[in-house]
Amino acid sequence: MRMIFTKLVRLVVVLFVVTFLSFWFIKLIGGNNDLVAKMIPFASIEEKERVREEIGLNKPFFVQYRNWIGNFVTGDLGQIYTGSGANVASVPVSETIVKRLPVSLELMLYAQLLALAIAIPLGVFTAYRAGSKFDRGSNMAAFGLLALPQFVVALLLATYVGAKWQLLPTQANVDPFPLSPADNWQYMLMPIISLALAQIAIYTRLLRSDMIATLQEDFITTAKAKGIPAKRVLFRHALRPSSLTLLTVAGLNVGALIGGAVVIERIFQVPGIGGLLAASILSQQYLLTQSLVVLIAIFYILLNFFVDILYSVLDPRIRHARAVA
Amino acid sequence: MPAPSHNSGDDIVQSLVADKSHDSAVDEPMLYFAAVTDGPEIANIGKKRKGLGVGAWLSIIWLALLLTSSFAAPFLPIPDPINDVELPRSGGGKAVVIATPPSLDHLFGLDGSGHDVLSRVIWGARNSLLIGIVSVGLGLLVGGVLGNIAGYFKGKIGGFIGSVLDILLAFPQLILALFVVTVLGHTVANVTFALAIVSTPVLARIARASALSWSEREFVLAARAQGATHRRVIWREVLPNVLPAMFSIALLGIAVVIVAEAGLAIIGAGVKPEVVTWGNIIVGGQGELRGAAHIVLAPSLIIFLTVLSLNFLGDVVRARSDVRDSAL
Amino acid sequence: MRKSKKSADAAARFETEPAEGPLLQVVDLHTHFHTGRGVARAVDGVTLSLERGQTLGVVGESGSGKTVLARSIMGLLPKSNVERTGSILFEGREIIDASNDELRALWGSQMSMVFQDPMTSLNPVMKIGNQITEMILQHLDVSKKYAGELALAQLKAVGIPEAERRLKEYPHQMSGGMRQRIMIAIAIACGPKLLFADEPTTALDVTVQAQILDLLEEQQRERFMAMILVTHDLGVVAGRADEIVVMYAGRIVEKAPTGLLFSDMRHPYTEALLRSIPKLSAPSHSLLQAIGGRPPDIVNPPTGCKFSPRCPYVHEKCTQEEPPLVDATSPDHQFRCWTPVGTPENRAALEANRAAGLESALAVVEDVLPAGVSTATETLPQVTTSHLRGGTINPKGSV
Ligand SMILES: Nc1ncnc2c1ncn2[C@@H]1O[C@H](COP(=O)(O)OP(=O)(O)OP(=O)(O)O)[C@@H](O)[C@H]1O
Ligand code: SF4
Ligand SMILES: [Mg+2]
Repeated sequence: MRMIFTKLVRLVVVLFVVTFLSFWFIKLIGGNNDLVAKMIPFASIEEKERVREEIGLNKPFFVQYRNWIGNFVTGDLGQIYTGSGANVASVPVSETIVKRLPVSLELMLYAQLLALAIAIPLGVFTAYRAGSKFDRGSNMAAFGLLALPQFVVALLLATYVGAKWQLLPTQANVDPFPLSPADNWQYMLMPIISLALAQIAIYTRLLRSDMIATLQEDFITTAKAKGIPAKRVLFRHALRPSSLTLLTVAGLNVGALIGGAVVIERIFQVPGIGGLLAASILSQQYLLTQSLVVLIAIFYILLNFFVDILYSVLDPRIRHARAVA
Repeated sequence: MPAPSHNSGDDIVQSLVADKSHDSAVDEPMLYFAAVTDGPEIANIGKKRKGLGVGAWLSIIWLALLLTSSFAAPFLPIPDPINDVELPRSGGGKAVVIATPPSLDHLFGLDGSGHDVLSRVIWGARNSLLIGIVSVGLGLLVGGVLGNIAGYFKGKIGGFIGSVLDILLAFPQLILALFVVTVLGHTVANVTFALAIVSTPVLARIARASALSWSEREFVLAARAQGATHRRVIWREVLPNVLPAMFSIALLGIAVVIVAEAGLAIIGAGVKPEVVTWGNIIVGGQGELRGAAHIVLAPSLIIFLTVLSLNFLGDVVRARSDVRDSAL
Repeated sequence: MRKSKKSADAAARFETEPAEGPLLQVVDLHTHFHTGRGVARAVDGVTLSLERGQTLGVVGESGSGKTVLARSIMGLLPKSNVERTGSILFEGREIIDASNDELRALWGSQMSMVFQDPMTSLNPVMKIGNQITEMILQHLDVSKKYAGELALAQLKAVGIPEAERRLKEYPHQMSGGMRQRIMIAIAIACGPKLLFADEPTTALDVTVQAQILDLLEEQQRERFMAMILVTHDLGVVAGRADEIVVMYAGRIVEKAPTGLLFSDMRHPYTEALLRSIPKLSAPSHSLLQAIGGRPPDIVNPPTGCKFSPRCPYVHEKCTQEEPPLVDATSPDHQFRCWTPVGTPENRAALEANRAAGLESALAVVEDVLPAGVSTATETLPQVTTSHLRGGTINPKGSV
C-alpha cells in the first residue's frame, strides 16, 4: 500500500515536470504573439487579437500555465483555430482527440497482440530446440525482418495487396472513420501487419535468449523429473520467469506506438494520434501539439506504472522484495 | 563485484529487482540493440573458425560499394538525377508511360518525371549516408562523453544526466526530429542535426550502461586505488573498453538513422523534395505504386540491404568484443 | 484428458508385469559427452544393481561422474552431444532406449530425484502447493481437491511446520533446509520405487544435513523405496547405505556391501576418501582438497590406472595397464587395483615411493594406514556419523 502511495506521489511530480516543460518549451518556440500568427496566418488582425485574448496569451506566463493546467484537468484541452480573414472557426482539441485515440489504441493493441501471439510460441519453441535447423532458420528470418524497415513492409503491402491485387483498401482517409474494429478491419489490417512484423522479430529473439537461460536452470530439470509433459514445462515453468524482458519491451512499444506510429499512419492514411501530432507540428498548431505531448506523456507514465505492477504479478520475489522495502 | 553465492536467495532478488524494475523506459534502446545483436548464430554465418566469415565480408563489400559509388557519383557514367530526363517517344496512340519499369538501359527503370532511378538511388545514397554517418557521429561524440561521465561518476552528476536522458527518451523519437526540422527548416544539415539530437540520448544511455559496468571492474578499481586521476582512469581504463561497444552500436545506429530519414520524408518532415535522398525517392514514387512500383521498391531494397549489412557488422563487432555481456 | 493419448501409448511399454529380480540393473553403462575438446567419458562402463527397498551409496569426489551417472540412469541428460550406451533395466525392462515421452510415465511416479541445490531446484515463481499437486495430478487419477490434501499430507510427512500456510508460499520465503524438505516431499509424493538423492545435503548447513539425511532414511523405510544416495562424503553413506560404490573418473573403482567396504577396504582411492572425511569444524567442501593432486581430466585421462598420478602406491605396471575390476574375498566385493591396500606388495610400493620422495606417498600418515585396518574401520564411521548427528551416538554407526 505504501509502495503504491509513493509511486503515485512520484507520478504526480513527474506529470507536473512534464507538463511544465512542454508548456514552456512550446512557448519558447512559438513566442507569445507568433503562436497565433502561425496558427492562423491569414486571419485578420482583429481576429488574431481576439484569439490571443481567448487563449490568454496576454497574461503572465505562470498565470497561463495555471489556467492551462486547470483547464486540462477539467478536460478542456483548448481549441484548434482555422480560417482566414474574419472567418476564424475553432474546434475543441478534445473532440479531435476523442475521434483519433480509439484508432491509435486499436492499431497499437492489435499490433502487439499479433506480434506476441506469433513471437511467444516461436521464441519458446526455438529456445527449446536451440541449434536445430528450424531455430537457425527462424533466427535468420528474424535478423532479416529486423533489417526491414516498417515503411518498406508497409509499402510492399500497399503495392501488392493494396494496389496491384486490390485485396484491401490502401487509403483509410474515409470520414467518418469507422471506430468499431468490426467495420474498419480492412483499413487496419495492413497497418497492423506492418507494425507487428519487426516486433515479432525483436520479441522472438529476446524471449528465445531468456528462455535458453531459463531452460538451463535446475528447477526446469526438477519439473522434467516430475514427469510433466514438455509443453507444460515450457509454458508453465519456463515462460513466466523468462518473460520479464519481453514484458519491458512490449510495454515500451505500446507507449511508443501510441504517438510514434506516424509513418505507418501516414502511408495508410489511418487517422491516429501520431498523424495528428505530426500534422499539428507541421501546420504549427502548437496548442494541439502541447495537449498531445502531455497526453502521450501521461499515457507513458501510466504504462510504466502498469508494467511495474505486472512485474510483481509475474515474479513473486519482486513482489515480496518491494513489500519489505 | 561480489561472487554470487548459492545460498543467498536475497542476492537473486536484489539483482532481479535492480535489473528489471527500475524505470522501465530506461532500457528501450538497449533492448532494441540487444534484440539485434543477440546470440552468436548470426555473427557466425558462413564463418569457418577464425576470420570474419562470408556474411561479414558480404556486408563489408556491399557497404564499400555503396560508399565508393556515392562518392564517385559525379564521375560515374550515369544520368544526372535531376536534370537528365528521358521521355519515351509516344507510340501509335497509346498512352505514354513515363515511369517505365527496369530495363537493360535503366536497371531500376525511370520515375514519373523520366529520371533514371538507379542514378537517383546512387545520388540519394550520398545524402542518406551522409545524414546517417554524421548524425550518429555527432550523437556518439556528445552522447559518448555524457554517458561515460554519467556512468563513471555515479552520484549526483550521473543521476542528473540520467534523468535528462530519460526525459528526452520519453518523447516519440521521430516526433522530436520532426519538431526540430519544422522549426529549423528542411535542409540536409537540419535533418542531420535533428537526427543527431534524437540519437544522442540513445547512445548516451548505452555508453552509460557500459561505463557503469566497466568502472566496477577490478582493474579500474585497482587503478583508482592507486591514486590515478579520474581523467586518467576514464581515458586509459574505461574508454578503451567502452569503445568497441560504442562502435558496434554506432553501426546499428547508422542503420536506424537511415531508416529514420526516410520516415521523416514520408511524414513530410524530411529534406525538401528537390534534394535527392532515399526517403525523397520513396516519397516521389508513393503515388505510383500501382503502375510503377519499382520507383519505391528500388530504394527500399537498397535500404534493406544496407541496414542488413550494418546490423550484421554491428553484431560481428559485438560478438568479437563481447560487449553485450558487460554492457547490456 | 490428463493423460494424453501419446503418453498413454508411451506408458503401455511399461504396463507389462514387472519381472522378477532386482529393481534396477545397470550393465556397462557409458555416457560420453562430445565437447569442443574431445570426448568426455563422464561415465565409463558402470555396472551395478539395486534391490527393492535397498540403499546404494555412490561416493566420489567432485567431477567423478556421480551426477552424470544418476541422470544417465534416469534419462535426464541434455539431448545434444550426448552418447549413452549399455543397458539399464528397471524392473526388468530396458529403458536406455526409451524416449522422453515413454520415460515421463516413470519420472516422478516410479523413480524420482532430489537435487543437490534446493535454492535453485524449485520453481521460484510457482507456489509450493502447485509444484506438488501438479505432479500428483499428472500421475494419479485424483481430483484437484484430493491432490491438494495429498500435498498437504506430504508436507507434514517431511516435517514442514504450518504446512497449510506453506502450501501457498513461494520457495524464496523458506530456508534452504525447508526447501530441501519440500524437494523431498515432491520427489516422494507419488510413491516412487526408486529415489535418487544427488548430494542432497551438500548445499546445506552442517546442522541441517543430518536432519535431511534422517528424513530421507525414515521416508525410505516407511515406503519401502530403494534409494541411490550420491555423495562425496564416505561418512554420509557409512551408516545409511546397504552397499557402496566408489567412483573415480567415471569408473567404479571399488564396490562392496557397506560393512565389508569398511572392514576390508582394498582400493587406495577409497582409503584416501576415508582419510579425508571432514572434521566437524571444516566446511563441507574441504575434503576435495584433502586428497592430494587434481581429479583427472576425463577428456584425456592418464594411461593405465586413472588414479596413478595421485596414488601413493603407484608402481610401473599402474601407468601402463589399467587394472580390471576383480573380486575380492567375496564376489559382492570388487575393486580395481593391481596392488590393493593391505597387501605386502602395497606396503613395498609405498616404501619404494617414499624412498623416491613421491609427494603422495610422503603424505600418507602412518596411524590410519591399513596396518591396523580393523581398528581404523571400526572407529571411523562411528565418529563421522555422530558428528553429523550433532553428537548423539547413532546405533547404526557400527554398521
Ligand atoms: N553436459 C555436459 N557436457 C560435457 N561435460 C559434462 C557435462 N555434464 C557433466 N560433464 C562432465 O562430466 C564430469 C562428471 O560430472 P558430474 O557432474 O557427474 O560430477 P559429480 O561427480 O557429480 O561432481 P560434483 O560432486 O561436483 O557434483 C565432469 O568432468 C563434467 O565436467
Ligand atoms: S596401486 Fe596402482 S593400480 Fe592401484 S590404485 Fe594405485 S595406481 Fe592404481
Ligand atoms: Mg554432482
